[in-house]
Amino acid sequence: MRNGPAAPQRHRCGCRAIVPPELLRRIAQNGTKPQREAALATLATDHSLRFARATAQLTGGPPRRLALVAAEFVPRRTVFDAGHREALPGTPVRAEGQRAGRDTEVNEAYDGLGATFAFFADVYDRNSIDDAGMPLDASVHYSVRYDNAFWNGRQMVFGDGDGEIFNRFTASLDVIGHELAHGITADEANLAYLGQAGALNESISDVFGSLVKQYRLGQAAAEADWLIGEGLFTRRVKGVALRSMKAPGTAFDDPVLGKDDQPATMAGYVHTTADNGGVHTNSGIPNHAFYLAAVALGGNAWDVAGHVWYETLRDRHLRPNATFRQFAALTVRNAAQSFGAAAERAVATAWQDVGIDTSARSRRVPGRTAGRAPARRGRRGIA
Amino acid sequence: MSLQIDFGIEGGLAAFPGLAKPLRIDCANLAKDEAGRIEALVRRADFFGRREPAHAAPLPDARTYTIGVDDGSQCRTLRLDEPIADDAMRALVAELREHALRLRRAGAR
Repeated sequence: MRNGPAAPQRHRCGCRAIVPPELLRRIAQNGTKPQREAALATLATDHSLRFARATAQLTGGPPRRLALVAAEFVPRRTVFDAGHREALPGTPVRAEGQRAGRDTEVNEAYDGLGATFAFFADVYDRNSIDDAGMPLDASVHYSVRYDNAFWNGRQMVFGDGDGEIFNRFTASLDVIGHELAHGITADEANLAYLGQAGALNESISDVFGSLVKQYRLGQAAAEADWLIGEGLFTRRVKGVALRSMKAPGTAFDDPVLGKDDQPATMAGYVHTTADNGGVHTNSGIPNHAFYLAAVALGGNAWDVAGHVWYETLRDRHLRPNATFRQFAALTVRNAAQSFGAAAERAVATAWQDVGIDTSARSRRVPGRTAGRAPARRGRRGIA
Repeated sequence: MSLQIDFGIEGGLAAFPGLAKPLRIDCANLAKDEAGRIEALVRRADFFGRREPAHAAPLPDARTYTIGVDDGSQCRTLRLDEPIADDAMRALVAELREHALRLRRAGAR
């Protein structure tokens, strides 16, 4: 949950300011004269509002936030060595600014935290998990032959893998992004980890985990592999990754692990009580919708599709128990508001293709039918 | 009578249907030292006498283990969410996890 007071005001205003600063800077450098002027004006406005936010924090926020303003958008990473035990966080072994050592897991975790922080700061103007400079902590060498990674609500935890099926879990940048995105989802929307809301929670982590990797590699949507967890399997496993957003259900087919059973569309939706209602299985459906939208929109997935999903995650109408259809309807609305009719069509078509109808007839955004918006939850919504 | 144990894993960073299938571990079919180690861990964890574990809201990507133990005179099934705080129960889970993996690998050959 967010610590300290809510941001005094949104620093993004309307359609213009939703364009990422990085894209604006590129337009300012390479666009036509009117485009350059518009981009520069938007960047100036964004800078002014960020300054206003900082000023308000200095004058009205609690003492804890003063240092954050001075060091805004600077990561504060600490990697701990759990020493093959389960007590967290363990012994601090690399703090922010310290040089790389010999421990591969420590270095990968440190670099992965940094890449994820940089992605959200550069692209979405977000200052860490809570948008208020939250320190980024990770523990490596958790337990013995531990073949998993998870977010415990405060920090990331990585096992070394068993060496037979799984390699070390720091090896995959998108997995690090995935885990940190769970923290952002908890901060912004607190999506339940159950049923469709839980599958959305998982999917949002896959979306931003994949985008962290694509941004790091400079890959456009059409160039990306859209795999989650590539490199985690040892050579003994018949599989390429944990999941495929491009082709759900095809990531692995192994005698020990079984066959990837993620559905790509609602026709394959799995009704189960296992894994909190199949959160890692049915996430294939919104994952594939994002992939389809990103490829249809073209360019870098983080520029338009990623922004639509990010704004939807922050949308005050996104409820903790949201269904696929409710989430989809919000993405369509945010696409229209932020990027226009073509983006709206692309996003709606992507959802349609996975079996989720977001047409006006079926669309019912929670709290939006009664003329006035529902009470705010104390979180920021679309301006 | 030696122990019969049913062991299942849910969740984790991904869904693996092959790992999620419950597995029967019959200590009568194990080597003596291995069976003894598992039975000692069950006793140390006070499996039949301990309180039902509390279940908090699930943590993203953490796993849940289901362990059923039948010693011939009593049987009990417990569900445990990661991270497991109790040392003895955590040691039992780690042993069963390793053993289950070996069985699955052997069965896959």
